[in-house]
Amino acid sequence: MERVKGIEPSSPAWEAGAFPLCYTRFRQTDSASFSVQIKPKLVSAITFVMLQRSMAPIMGPTQPGTIQIDETETKADLAAPWNVIVHNDPINLMSYVTLVFMRVFGYARTKAERHMLEVHHKGRSLVWSGGREQAEHYVHQLHSYQLLATLEKSES
Amino acid sequence: MTELRVERANEKQIRITGIAPVLAVMLREVPVILEMRDSPAAKNRLLPDPTSANEKANQEWQQIVGPELHHLFVSAGETMARDLTGLVADPHDINTGQLEFPVEHLRAWMSALNQARLILGEIHQIKEEDMNEANLDPRDPRDLAALRIHLLGYVLQSFVELETGHEPQASI
Repeated sequence: MERVKGIEPSSPAWEAGAFPLCYTRFRQTDSASFSVQIKPKLVSAITFVMLQRSMAPIMGPTQPGTIQIDETETKADLAAPWNVIVHNDPINLMSYVTLVFMRVFGYARTKAERHMLEVHHKGRSLVWSGGREQAEHYVHQLHSYQLLATLEKSES
Repeated sequence: MTELRVERANEKQIRITGIAPVLAVMLREVPVILEMRDSPAAKNRLLPDPTSANEKANQEWQQIVGPELHHLFVSAGETMARDLTGLVADPHDINTGQLEFPVEHLRAWMSALNQARLILGEIHQIKEEDMNEANLDPRDPRDLAALRIHLLGYVLQSFVELETGHEPQASI
């Protein structure tokens, strides 16, 4: 989905290509691409979180643009499938939820409606499954549309 | 009762006509409703946690994403409030209510309308059965909130239809 400037005052939340929490797990060595992926306004927030974790500073002494990763995030944790779940609520319009699924996931109307009806009848729907970073991004997007969405680690 | 009509006036403008006086009042109340977005109940709904059990992840999310989403929601409300200054509505003439705003503001309007509906729902603890109640009494605060949610939903639905060209649906 292409976001058009001016629809709403520009906000990184609309434009984020990856969810901020993902950045704390980057092992990024290319300073050029680093600058593309990290939104300037978020750097201070990320730094704040990293400092809270007593992690190494964002910019290492030898390699500009290198993020020191918290190794407690295991490879298995990142590789395991994560589910994006949308929960029912009494206020959101069915048509609005369908539209959001089409916009966020690029789903065809029939698929978007199927998920919307599952939310309506079963109280929740697993709308997407895959890597954690992308899952976080989708939850972020769904929250920006005011849908109740959560992230769950797949049990499979 | 006039029929609300939402259409593209041209490539750059959205036009709403047939805005009944009561709907005009409710639209003008949206910015006031949005000022309640920071109440605990509304805040929990508009800025929900991303997990059901991981406190640490939820806390980080709220620290990093919370302000971004809050800014986004505030911006949408401000955009709608500015556009509402152009609302023409004579309380003595039900046929005159109309408004135009830039096409680029449509998503801000949808966001602001939905925020207002959700805030009303949280503050008045509106449940599914309240939304399905056919006999709402406007003298009752909760029923009045449900009526306002329905009426704002009517406008939101018109915007969704403009975006998708699809038939009306109920709430999920």
